[in-house]
Amino acid sequence: MRLVGAEVLKLVRRRGLMAWSLLLTVGSVLVAEIVLVALHAANSAKHDPAGGAANLEHLVFLLSGLGNVAAIIIGATAGTQDVGNGVFRDLVVTGRKRSTLFNVRVVGALAVFLPMLALGFAVAIGGSFLLAGGLPLPTGADIGRYLAYTVALTAIDVILAVGLAAFTSSRVVVGVLIAWNAIVSHLLIAIGSLGGSRKLIDVAAAEHFAPRHAIDNQLAMSSVTAVLTLVVWAVIFLRAGRWWTNRTDA
Amino acid sequence: MEAVIETRGLTKRFGDRAAVDGVDLLVPAGVAFGFLGPNGAGKTTMIRTLLGLTRPSSGEVLLLGLPQPAKRREALARVGAIVEEPKFHPHLTGRENLKIVAAARDRAAEARIPEALQRVGLAHRGSDRVKTYSLGMRQRLGIARCLLADPALLILDEPMNGLDPAGILEMRHLIRAFVDEGRTVFLSSHLLDEVEKTCDHVAIVDQGRIVVQGAVAEIAESGDPTLLLEVDDLAAARRVLDGHRVDVEGGGLRVSLTNGLGAAELNRALVEAGVAVSRLEPARATLEEKFLAITSRLEGNE
Repeated sequence: MRLVGAEVLKLVRRRGLMAWSLLLTVGSVLVAEIVLVALHAANSAKHDPAGGAANLEHLVFLLSGLGNVAAIIIGATAGTQDVGNGVFRDLVVTGRKRSTLFNVRVVGALAVFLPMLALGFAVAIGGSFLLAGGLPLPTGADIGRYLAYTVALTAIDVILAVGLAAFTSSRVVVGVLIAWNAIVSHLLIAIGSLGGSRKLIDVAAAEHFAPRHAIDNQLAMSSVTAVLTLVVWAVIFLRAGRWWTNRTDA
Repeated sequence: MEAVIETRGLTKRFGDRAAVDGVDLLVPAGVAFGFLGPNGAGKTTMIRTLLGLTRPSSGEVLLLGLPQPAKRREALARVGAIVEEPKFHPHLTGRENLKIVAAARDRAAEARIPEALQRVGLAHRGSDRVKTYSLGMRQRLGIARCLLADPALLILDEPMNGLDPAGILEMRHLIRAFVDEGRTVFLSSHLLDEVEKTCDHVAIVDQGRIVVQGAVAEIAESGDPTLLLEVDDLAAARRVLDGHRVDVEGGGLRVSLTNGLGAAELNRALVEAGVAVSRLEPARATLEEKFLAITSRLEGNE
């Protein structure tokens, strides 16, 4: 636990990282709600109230998309900061196993990211109820699926970023994973000729948890398959990152 | 003699080049041990290999009597080390940086942070971010980080690098204080004078191999005796001293005697040759002279 605490300390003391991550998670939802409220206030005939189930869906997709960027940035920073600052060797000479030092990066990054995501999600849920006016409210099942979708889509990227960061710089990690999530994975999912192999794409697996009507090109797969796909991605990236951390000179 | 570091045939190769080449090193406990060599001699690679930061190509390492890497954690729990220049997270304060490393050590390590900062004179700057520290302050913070382990052995890589004269003096006093407390300090350096002033024992390393190791005084005094001479006729004196190594120094001569010749025999030979001797005294041998003699001999053999 002390190592996890140290990992969290290293991350939360980065003011820029924290500011951007909060902006991308909590800030983006707040700004979107303020805009929706302002639009409704300006022209209530044309613009519905800012809350309700439909607006929650929009806010969740905003939170997932931008929260995904925050997840990647936090994971990449956690994965590279010890080596980048030349401190990793000082941790190694304490006698701690390199694999332990690698593992705590993942836990530390999740410990920093998930509360931000939870706060952003809470703001979105709160707004959907408080600002609903006469609009239909989201159901418990909707909220559960949105939560699972948001956590699956973002938490997996924290893990992938930490694993990938063992091999390369944080900038490369951020670039590669954003490109994968925003462009490449969706292009692959759209190629029908790839058939069932598309279920092996992490983004497709995470999107399984979104409400069916909410995602274009959503692949049909069981929840077990989706969870297994995400677990396999996480295990591969963690094992690769740990292997490389153990293998290279500190 | 209890050894805190012992290596047998330790070798580290990078491709065809051996950065550490079959090193047998013995560092006794409770001394300041200098690992002396020119830049590129393999000092840092040796330290990295000792600490398990890089895998040796072959050979054995015992740290505090414990075989490495089998008993790595047990040994390193009592070792503090600075490898190359001390590095920190610049966005964290000095105290937070120590806290990071303390978290990787035993629970007592965190309790040692205030004392460690006090010891190196950084208690008043512990709450400042490290990016505002000078190199000298970072060197001292590096020492404080070593102290979190309550180390039996400190391994310091070029600890005087970048320090001003006051900082060097301070570091020397700190190292001697550690030795007085019963700790062993293993320091690498290319600064001959500093090693001679700070260390009790030394190993001279060149091209990855240890050329000589032992007590500083013994190494400095070993070899042919050297005399300083002042005579009335330098040319005549040089003729008499043919066969010995003779250098002009100041207004006199510096003579390294060979063939077991003593000061009295030399004096007699000069007087019999009509050379008046106004000064004859043994030269104080320095580690620097020994080092230069060894390295120039090695260069001559290449």
